[in-house]
Amino acid sequence: MNKVEPVVVIHGGAWAIPENISDASRNGVKLAAKKSYDILKHGGSALDAVEAAVVILEDEPVFDAGKGSCLNAAGLIEMDASIMDGTSLKAGAVAAVANISNPICLARMVMEQTDHCLLVGEGANMFANECNVPSVDPSSLVTEACLDEWQTFEKYKSAVDSLFNNQINALPLGHDTVGAVAMDANGRIAAATSTGGITGKRVGRVGDSPLIGSGTYAIDEIGGVSCTGHGESIIKICLAKHIICLMESGMKAQEAVEQSLQLMNSRVKGAGGAICISASGEPAFHFTTERMAWAIAKADVLSWGLDPNECNIEKMA
Amino acid sequence: MIDPVILVHGGAGDIPEWRVPLKMHGVRKAVKTGYEILSNSEGCVLDAVEAAIKVMEDDEAFNAGKGSVLTIKGTIEMDAIIMEGKNLKTGAVAGLSNVAHPVSIAKLVMDSTPHIFLAGPGANTFACEKGVPFVPDDELITDFARQALEDFLHGKGEATSEVGKETKYGTVGAVAIDRHGRMACATSTGGMTGKLPGRVGDTPLVGAGGYCDDASGASSATGHGESIARVCLCHHIIGLMQSGLGPKQATELALTNMNKRTGGTAGAITLSNKGEVGIYFNSKRMAWAYAQNGEIHSGINPDEDEIESI
Repeated sequence: MNKVEPVVVIHGGAWAIPENISDASRNGVKLAAKKSYDILKHGGSALDAVEAAVVILEDEPVFDAGKGSCLNAAGLIEMDASIMDGTSLKAGAVAAVANISNPICLARMVMEQTDHCLLVGEGANMFANECNVPSVDPSSLVTEACLDEWQTFEKYKSAVDSLFNNQINALPLGHDTVGAVAMDANGRIAAATSTGGITGKRVGRVGDSPLIGSGTYAIDEIGGVSCTGHGESIIKICLAKHIICLMESGMKAQEAVEQSLQLMNSRVKGAGGAICISASGEPAFHFTTERMAWAIAKADVLSWGLDPNECNIEKMA
Repeated sequence: MIDPVILVHGGAGDIPEWRVPLKMHGVRKAVKTGYEILSNSEGCVLDAVEAAIKVMEDDEAFNAGKGSVLTIKGTIEMDAIIMEGKNLKTGAVAGLSNVAHPVSIAKLVMDSTPHIFLAGPGANTFACEKGVPFVPDDELITDFARQALEDFLHGKGEATSEVGKETKYGTVGAVAIDRHGRMACATSTGGMTGKLPGRVGDTPLVGAGGYCDDASGASSATGHGESIARVCLCHHIIGLMQSGLGPKQATELALTNMNKRTGGTAGAITLSNKGEVGIYFNSKRMAWAYAQNGEIHSGINPDEDEIESI
């Protein structure tokens, strides 16, 4: 197989990232990009690269995944994640899983060690136990920022109880998903996404992140995608698959991502972001929220940003 | 104005001969129920698909609601989805137990929460909060489902979603269009015999087990869940219709592609936004029926099409 230029694209969530965590967000996506690119440069697979990138983001408390996940309506953490292999189209996902540090690793185990694609709730946790995935103290995943946000949510909820369910999107609650897409030196593509969801979500609420075609998709012949933003909107238009379909019809990756996000806005009034790599190794990203933490590593150059039109570049050793 | 149509399926797979009349009776009854609602000038297309699915969830001949296949632990975990095509409003549930009508719980998620998808204990708690009656396991678990699990545990078959001897799949689904061109789809299932607890297949995944968009059409799938999910089958079918293919061609092409890429078999029912019908399956059989213009069409074997007047 002819060798190609490996590339990885990372996102750390599309939302109005507050200034006090903007540097940590930039540093987080940069680190994830560097480490996963390193894996690719040493001949590692796209799957290994995206899993490693997402593990870093899950471990970084400033992102809404793994440690730092948002709290649900019961004040607990339930996490979702998915990973997809663009060569075989195999996929693995978990949803509403609790008390583990790295849902993306469990998602990969679902893909590689079962005949299934998605395990939810207690079933996902039972599988984690069977695979000897360590159980962590739930409080070790909770950050002060998420607890504060949850308390604000609780206060608001008791004030406007009957309207709340329909107003949840109007609340100034943020946080978002993390993801990675990579192409390795063999031209294989993989994508991965992980999240703690949204503050105050109903117990058992599943967003787009663990849903193949919504939050994540990868197919070597066309490209790979990971999405972030308003989960319900992403699901309604199957955002990841939609981007893939536009690229399949000949559109360039950047245009496909932009057009799909515009559609999501016009059709279902949802905002978000997406990262993508085309079959020819072209990286792309776009967001319709105020900010999105992103990073790209290709040809020994690292680029990253947060604000619209922000693009920082440095050469990697 | 369009002639309203409702199209249902009762599962694709290697359906054994003795189950054929039971399934045919069931899909015809489901479609008559849904069509009655559609024919009424006030009839809502979402109500029509929900009613059709409920008929099949109550009927133990189908792998949905009563008659659902069992997890490896001998329990029932049900999944469902419902979607409308104007604003793409959707509701989905997974891992639901002890309710008679998972499709109705999915509709409640759509209508009374800001979310789309509830899974596991959260879905059950939600059903409880909404006053949905608790149904004990023994009212949902059938002898046939128990036998299928026995066979699976003794190595007589791989994880299957249809009851019987060989590899087979099952789920129920409905797609409909009203006289104004409004569309809806719904799918409901007990999953696969011997599945791991918490396993979710294609059914509640938007784009996989079902998809609906008034701009193009509606589709509902049945078959090997993981294969359907990996290619986002219904979204693919809708996309092919958007690029100009008719519903039958789109369904066939998408299923052929799925089989090529994953090796899995399945079936799907599809309506275009003009009310044209598309039915295709690459499993051995798929029970289906549709009502249009005062007639019911139905079949279960390839190329079958029995017609009766309503």
